[in-house]
Amino acid sequence: MRKIVLEVSLSIILSFLIGYIMLILMGYDATRVFSIVIREGLSNPTYLMMRSTPLILTALAFSIPSSVGVFNIGGEGQFYLGALASLIIAYTTGNSLLSTITGMAAGGLLSALIAVIKVKRGVNEVVTSIMFNWMIYFSLLYLISTYLFDPLMPYQSVSVPKNARIEYLTIQSVSIPMIFPIAVLTSLAMYFLMYHSALGYRMRVVGISPKAARYAGFDPESSIIISMIIGGAMSGLGGSLLILGHTHTIDSTMSGLYGMGFAGIGAGLLGRNNPIGIIFSSIFLSMLLIGGEAAELRARVPTELADTLIGMIVIVLSAPYIVRILRVRR
Amino acid sequence: MIEDIISLTSQALVAMIPLLLASVGEIVTERSGVVNIGLEGILILSAFISSLVTFSTNDPYLGLLAGALSGLSAGLLHGFISVYLRGDQIIAGVGFNTFAYGISILGLINTWGHHGASPMVSKIPFFGAPLYISPLLPIALIIAITCWFWLFRTSSGLRLRACGEDPRAAEAMGVNVLRMRFLATVLGATLTGIGGAYIVVGWIGQFTRHISAGRGFIALAIVALSGWNPALSIAGSFIFGFFDAISLYLPVKIQLINPGLNLTSLSYVFRIIPYLGVLIIVSFFFRRGRAPRDLGRPYIKE
Repeated sequence: MRKIVLEVSLSIILSFLIGYIMLILMGYDATRVFSIVIREGLSNPTYLMMRSTPLILTALAFSIPSSVGVFNIGGEGQFYLGALASLIIAYTTGNSLLSTITGMAAGGLLSALIAVIKVKRGVNEVVTSIMFNWMIYFSLLYLISTYLFDPLMPYQSVSVPKNARIEYLTIQSVSIPMIFPIAVLTSLAMYFLMYHSALGYRMRVVGISPKAARYAGFDPESSIIISMIIGGAMSGLGGSLLILGHTHTIDSTMSGLYGMGFAGIGAGLLGRNNPIGIIFSSIFLSMLLIGGEAAELRARVPTELADTLIGMIVIVLSAPYIVRILRVRR
Repeated sequence: MIEDIISLTSQALVAMIPLLLASVGEIVTERSGVVNIGLEGILILSAFISSLVTFSTNDPYLGLLAGALSGLSAGLLHGFISVYLRGDQIIAGVGFNTFAYGISILGLINTWGHHGASPMVSKIPFFGAPLYISPLLPIALIIAITCWFWLFRTSSGLRLRACGEDPRAAEAMGVNVLRMRFLATVLGATLTGIGGAYIVVGWIGQFTRHISAGRGFIALAIVALSGWNPALSIAGSFIFGFFDAISLYLPVKIQLINPGLNLTSLSYVFRIIPYLGVLIIVSFFFRRGRAPRDLGRPYIKE
């Protein structure tokens, strides 16, 4: 436990340090930028919960297959597809539950396809995932600009009707977007699935050693497919909740959806692939994303600052050996 | 019809160059036992740096050099993490892709104050009119064939492949596995960097937000399809370059025939072609089991 905390905090400190130097080199007031990022990122708890919701789910989409040894970097495409399916169902039926289930099914179906191509044809999931991400990205752009646009506001899609939206719950003047507790409960359920169920045990054994799993009579291939279906469904649910509880529509450039799947990979790794850790890492990265947007308004630093920082955190986390070297020297 | 085919082929020859350079580079890297899925990030970063250098010096050849150097630096980082720090190569690559995208767009906005694209910069001229042939095409082909010869017909190539198949045996043969893997990673990333710079100074003429658009991952697909063979990756790069050409050519052609259509939204449909092509070809023609045996595993010296 201490080792994990050390690794995670070191990766954050190191990447902030590099980011700080980078900002100075580009001619920004780095101290001011970082204080805006942290202060504004935490200033509105309701908004922070809202933004953390999809991230928790795309992080689970990466981490659950990752414990089985599969790299689902297709969370981005599964997220888009979940959002689209959910929007269409909510718009046509006005039923939020049906819409959520469809969103999960859409995400799960896509990841199942990636898993089957991997298992049956031996094709690396990284390549197929990215191909699907781009195909779905352009398909959504086409559908929104051609069929699903709002006649009154053509730069966005039709909206989720009022009765299908997931609203707020107000407890003592703090309003909680209902999508946030849904994401947290899902994450807890995933924790129990992974660490306190037979299915989760099998999946983790496959992740540690496929040979040992086969010897114990567990079929690695079915574990891979099941973990991918769960992962894709999580991402689809993320897209669903974003549409039903936050944006209610998809803008024609997809800026509200873009990058959530990739940020989820960062949140999953930072949470050490543990569903409970993911809740905290997603809140932390959402703070960076919100703070990054505030920094754009206040200090004219592009929002891609957040991407840069998340990328650096992931790079440092890829090599836990760095921490060991620093510890030996101390 | 004949004209269309000539024009498409010519476009394919333009589009295949970054795919060829990146896939040949990755083959050298993977044959030594290291996976670098940060190709996409290297393409973006080197495209940005080369547009920056070409913009300020007005010399596209300097831009190309700057792209190569950006690739080289990325290779030093990835090599250090995967070989000497025994990091997780896939995670390091994913992180680098996010980082490279972030910093390039940060740089784009910081330099030109524009969120979508840089201004046009000077380009390396095509030759062979009416076809468009970049001087980088013969260079990339020579690099591919040289790498094939090096890997499969020389003793140093054999030593490099030994590091990817059985590093312990390689070590027993007297090969410095760690150094060989590190150098192969740096070389592969440098070639990819030239590919990224070419997209700007040899082809498009400016840096845009989605300049790479998954080409790094298409190159990874070519690596697997070619069976880790640089000579065969020439064919793979041409096929996927052809898909790329079709996706750009068809909407323009269709609008010529039927001027009433909305080109912007229609072009989205055609942009799907290269990715769909990769998916179909990879799913039906990939033969498993030819990857270097120790690929992606860090080597720990006893």
